[in-house]
Amino acid sequence: MSPLIDMVFILLIFFIVATSFVNEVGITSKYKDSANPTDQKRSPLTFELSPAGQILQNGSAIGLEEVAPLVRNAHDDSKASIIVRVSPGSKAGLATEVMDQAMRGGAKAIKMSPLAK
Amino acid sequence: MRLYGRSRSLEDQEDGSINVSPLIDVVFILLIFFIVSATFVSLPGVEISRPNAQTASSLQKNSILFAVSGENQIFHGGTEIQLAEVPSLIDAASKDRNKPVVIQTDQWADAALLAKVIAQARKKAPSVSIATRKPR
Repeated sequence: MSPLIDMVFILLIFFIVATSFVNEVGITSKYKDSANPTDQKRSPLTFELSPAGQILQNGSAIGLEEVAPLVRNAHDDSKASIIVRVSPGSKAGLATEVMDQAMRGGAKAIKMSPLAK
Repeated sequence: MRLYGRSRSLEDQEDGSINVSPLIDVVFILLIFFIVSATFVSLPGVEISRPNAQTASSLQKNSILFAVSGENQIFHGGTEIQLAEVPSLIDAASKDRNKPVVIQTDQWADAALLAKVIAQARKKAPSVSIATRKPR
């Protein structure tokens, strides 16, 4: 009887140790590509990231802290889905922070799309 | 005349040992629980410095992990992979269970590469998240 108990205990300890709980925090950009774009009267709010690390909105450079108010004041149609266009060479950290700020401003879905060179 | 309670306790310890079968039952149940709940997460296996975020929330635990390093390499399961391999790796890891994808990205990685990885992952995964630091 006791060898059985020993073996079961060893299996038990193995599975307890092997059960790894990865706790990640992060942001999820829900973007439905299937959403019909013709439903929206206004074009989505678009931010562009330049290789130099600037955030461009409608052609003018803005600061990171201006992203959330811009999204908050935007029309509901353009708030529904936001596009972050990243040029090659811009940093993923900045892109993530722009997405984060847009979520803080009430954006429902954010798409990150690469700009062609 | 014999006392009933006393005779019971004597019967239990007839051979002078503790009855272990309830213990084995409990241990078996624990064992089965841990076997069933065991999900072997394969970590990407590369050190990255995560970007900051204020709206970060806890992500689903049972996810497929990819990493984009600061040197613009993509990692999955401890090895470097190519961008085109991402959808097939999600298929292999997901096994029709529709697991979500979590991308650990270095904050100094190229954002265009991150966007391409997200676009590739979105072909197969129900949701794609970016891992960040815990908000303070």
